[in-house]
Amino acid sequence: MKTSSISRQKRNAAIVTAILLIFALAFVGFPLLWMAISSFKPGVDLFVVPPTILPRSWSLEWYQQAFATDTVVRYFLNSLKIASVVMIIDMLVGTLTAYSLVRFQYAGRKALMMGILASYCVPPIMLLLPLYKIMATMGLTGSHVGVIIGHLTITLPFSVWLLIPFFKKLPREIDEAALIDGASEWQVFARVDFPLVVSGVISTGIMAFIMSWNEFLLSSVLVNKEAMKTLTVGISNYISSTHIDWGIIMALGTITTIPVILLFAAVQRYFVEGMTAGAVKG
Amino acid sequence: MSSYSKRHRLIGILFAVPALIFLLTFVLYPVAYNIYLSFTNASLSARKAVRFVGLKNFTAMFSNKLFKQYFWNTCKWTFWSVLGQMLLGLGLAMLISQPMKGATAIRSFLLIPYVVPAVTLALVSKWILNSDYGIVSYWCQQAGWLDARQSFLAMKGPAMWVVVILNIWRSYPFPMLIYWAALKSIDRDLYEAATVDGSTKWQSFLYITLPQLRATTAVLIILRIVWTATYYDLIYMVTGGGPTGSTTTLPILIYQTSFGSGQLGAGAAISMVLGVLMLGCIVIYIRNNMKEE
Repeated sequence: MKTSSISRQKRNAAIVTAILLIFALAFVGFPLLWMAISSFKPGVDLFVVPPTILPRSWSLEWYQQAFATDTVVRYFLNSLKIASVVMIIDMLVGTLTAYSLVRFQYAGRKALMMGILASYCVPPIMLLLPLYKIMATMGLTGSHVGVIIGHLTITLPFSVWLLIPFFKKLPREIDEAALIDGASEWQVFARVDFPLVVSGVISTGIMAFIMSWNEFLLSSVLVNKEAMKTLTVGISNYISSTHIDWGIIMALGTITTIPVILLFAAVQRYFVEGMTAGAVKG
Repeated sequence: MSSYSKRHRLIGILFAVPALIFLLTFVLYPVAYNIYLSFTNASLSARKAVRFVGLKNFTAMFSNKLFKQYFWNTCKWTFWSVLGQMLLGLGLAMLISQPMKGATAIRSFLLIPYVVPAVTLALVSKWILNSDYGIVSYWCQQAGWLDARQSFLAMKGPAMWVVVILNIWRSYPFPMLIYWAALKSIDRDLYEAATVDGSTKWQSFLYITLPQLRATTAVLIILRIVWTATYYDLIYMVTGGGPTGSTTTLPILIYQTSFGSGQLGAGAAISMVLGVLMLGCIVIYIRNNMKEE
């Protein structure tokens, strides 16, 4: 009698869980799904009252229109270039820094650690004006240098912080044995430790890529040439213009978001591992 | 041996030099430069000579009646966004930490908003809330919550709630992930002991789960306050701070002052005020994180 009431309780709990999860998945999925569906709706189905859920026919016209001029392609390539450079610098500098913080003891190590945490907390809006003034004075707002630096101020502290747990997991004994065998510190890093954390480094780099790809505020100010703009800034201009091409906008939103979701899916395991190791990060 | 360890230390420092130089040049120096700017009449145009104006930017800011309204907007935006994402994050973390089929897939799906570009969310929300063709607007109009051909984005009160809900959508995955990890680390025996002692699920939640999550919650709240209060992108792209300033928060004001009216000095002063307000949170966060070092 008791066991059956417990199992019934369990079943009810499972049903409640399932219902709540369905709501959650719908809440998360609806905007993205609606964007994708809208981007494939021909004009006659996009602007009807009442709106229909599924179009009567599917169409690629908005994608064709979006790519009719090479502006969008240029935005896309700009973002790809900026995010790739940011990713590579983050992987190089971030790895060296995290390694230094985990493996060495020196005066100022703790201060550096606090400096990185503090940099991590400094929001982009606080750096916006001084960075703009510096880049404008140096005449760099016509190039991508300013944006890359701006993105590094956000992603580098994050990368170091995400990488630290991967190095912390490595046993110190290997290092010590190699050092005793006469290997230099650089050799130990490059030949012994680095290969063991390579997946962590790559996934951190990809997270930095995603953050750079998505960034809006700094990108919108630190580049003033139309042809140099990033994808996020470029497509945001489509909403502020007076004539709004909703179909094109939905197509652009879809192609901006898909690469990010795919990349994130690829590295999620490492991201979850890095983020949830020990304390709360960010 | 001592010369060896000296050399070893030196090499350790060398590894960190690139990051150190970068952070000093592009984070610390800009922050100091921002403080300097806030006491000047610096403007967008490079030709105008920069002059020291003392506290003028600050007195002008505090005597501006609208500043008070924008400050309260920031508080409202931050409070509800943080509360919403923490509650949703905790709730979902509890759901996905139950043993079930496909838990990892569901967790992965629920993490997606973490990487969705703010511009995507802004575009979609403007579309679904479009007064004529937006599907959510249509549903609300049908339900009688909204007048025909009207959008929440054009209404003073509801616009703030719209951006708050959108912000919750994009920011709950972080607390969810952290809570999920924290829940996993709670000793199962505690729950079993409680069940044996006859406590209900609700009691277990109240007396075991919540106290165990206290430290996590504190750090999360601090971090999310900093991120939310200083967050610019979403509001700028969805409402632009409108209608009539009802969603203008301090970051929006900083941008408008600096790049709209070209008064960099005045903008720097506002961001100083915002920075000082956040400083307390940042100090607590760093101290908390350094404790385990």
